[in-house]
Order: sequence, then structure tokens, then C-alpha cells
Amino acid sequence: MTAQLNLKEIERRAFRSTYEDGLLDIELGLVVICMSIFVYRPPTGYSPANIVLALLAMLLANGLFWVGKKFITLPRMGRVRFGAARKRKKATLVIILSLVVLIQVGLLGLTVLGWLNPEVGAKVNDFFKARDLMDLAVAVIGSLFVGPSMILVAYFTDFPRGYYIAVMMALAVFLLIYLNQPIYAIILGSLIVLPGLVLFVRFVKTHPLHGEGVPDD
Amino acid sequence: MTRNAKSPDLSELADLDRLVHEPARLAVMALLFVIESADFTFLMNQTGLTWGNLSAHLTKLEEAGYLEVEKSFKGRRPNTSLRLTRQGREAFREYARTMKQIFQDLPTA
Repeated sequence: MTAQLNLKEIERRAFRSTYEDGLLDIELGLVVICMSIFVYRPPTGYSPANIVLALLAMLLANGLFWVGKKFITLPRMGRVRFGAARKRKKATLVIILSLVVLIQVGLLGLTVLGWLNPEVGAKVNDFFKARDLMDLAVAVIGSLFVGPSMILVAYFTDFPRGYYIAVMMALAVFLLIYLNQPIYAIILGSLIVLPGLVLFVRFVKTHPLHGEGVPDD
Repeated sequence: MTRNAKSPDLSELADLDRLVHEPARLAVMALLFVIESADFTFLMNQTGLTWGNLSAHLTKLEEAGYLEVEKSFKGRRPNTSLRLTRQGREAFREYARTMKQIFQDLPTA
């Protein structure tokens, strides 16, 4: 025996192999691109169409992910169910992300309260406007929500490329809000999609579907 | 050459479960030990075994009662889900225990 039979490493390698197809990278990159195109503040002002189009585009990205997974990569990769430890990690991630969403809703609530209470709203506005920090503050808050959330996802789902994606996403949100230009976020989104595409092509090439002489399963 | 008083009892080697000891089956069992279940394709990709080779090893493990095979359909495609039985898990644990015992006092060269 030249190498130690490391069961944890075997499990980790098997788990990480489910990301080899690059589809998750493509989906997350497309989400950033969709967000960049539809959620920046257009000169004409916000319209509900921005949000609706962004959601539709994100649904499309998600749909592409599931179709690709079901019809292209899963038949090549095979199906696997991992043990209780992975399920516990997933449940923990759901709880933590729910808390993050709750905090976001709380912040949104505070913003609405600011609108309802013009005095408070004005005080906050004056504080930031006096220092010309309004856009910077919103950009920092936005990227602080997106970046660490994605880092948590990467950690709990054992997805190493997720850390790179977290940095790209946080930067995309920051530039999108601060400069109010979608192009930078689109470029950053593309930098997430491209490695995913390379992985996807490589995966399809190295994982052929079974020939006719070999059983389907 | 004097014999080390702490040298492992070699008779334990003869007691090794040969069904688990074979490298390809050991790879399959180690993988199935750390996951809940997997299908044939996943095992092929992870172990690097060919379809025929893997199939032969799985049959042996199934015959020994170490492996449970569940056949179903995913849409129109047949799907074979494989998992270790309790007996298979115990056999793997026992194998690991024995191997650890054999090598724990191995002198460094």
C-alpha cells in the first residue's frame, strides 16, 4: 500500500466530481449577467419591467441548468446519493441562508420605514449625501450580502470554485451599483460563465454516453 | 538477523477477506462505504473500471451478500442503484481493522 486509503478524501472527491460538468458555474454566471442587464438603474428610472425581466432571465438560466443536468450531464456522470453528513450540511446551509434573507428583508423593511418616516429618511440621506457616500454605501452593502452568502454556499457545498465566483459576484454587484454601468458586471459574469463552458465541453468529451453494446444504466 | 518481538502476527493475513482485498472490489466497496448509493455509471466513472469488469466484481459482491442492487426506471431509462448491505459495511470495517492492525507496527525502512 503506497497511499493511505483516505475515506474522507474518497467521499470528497466523489462529491466534487458532481461539479465537474461546469453547469453550476454557467448558471451562476448567467444570473450575474441577467442581473446586470436588467437591475441597474436606467436613466429613465426604475420600472417593474426591470424586475420582471430579471426574474424571467434568471428562471431561464435556472431552467438551462436543470435541462443540461438532466439530459446531458447526469446520463454521463451517473447518479449518486451521499450520506447523512452531506444532508446535514445542506440543511445547515438552508438555515443560514434563510437567516441572511431575513436580514435582507429586515433592511428592506428599515428602508420602507425610512420612506414612511421622512424625518428619519432625510437624516440618513443627509448623512450619506453630505459625504457623497450614498452610492458607495449601497454598493458596499449590496456586495457584502452577495459575496459572503456565496462564500457560505461554497463552503457548505464543498464547491472550491465557489470562492472565486463569490469574489466575482461581490465585485459585479459593487460595480453595478457604484458605477451604475452594467458592462462591468456583464464582463465579470462572463468570467464566471467561460470557465464553466470550458469544463462543460471537456466533461462532454471525456464522459461519452454508453454505446449500444453497453447497458444504459 | 533478529526478529522483532513486536512483529505482527502473520496468521492474520490468511484471515483477510479476499473478496474485499481484491483492489478493484476494494475501490468499489470503499466508495460505496462513504456514500449512500450510486448507479452503475457513477461507479464506473469513479473507479475507472470498464463495464464488464465492474459488472463481474459487483456480481461477486452481490452473491456474497455485501451489495444490494435495486433496479428501477428513470423515465424510460433503466437505472441500477447500488448500495452496501449492513453485512457489506461490517465486512469492510473488519477488513480495515485487520489491515490497520497488520501495518501499525510496520518498521520504517
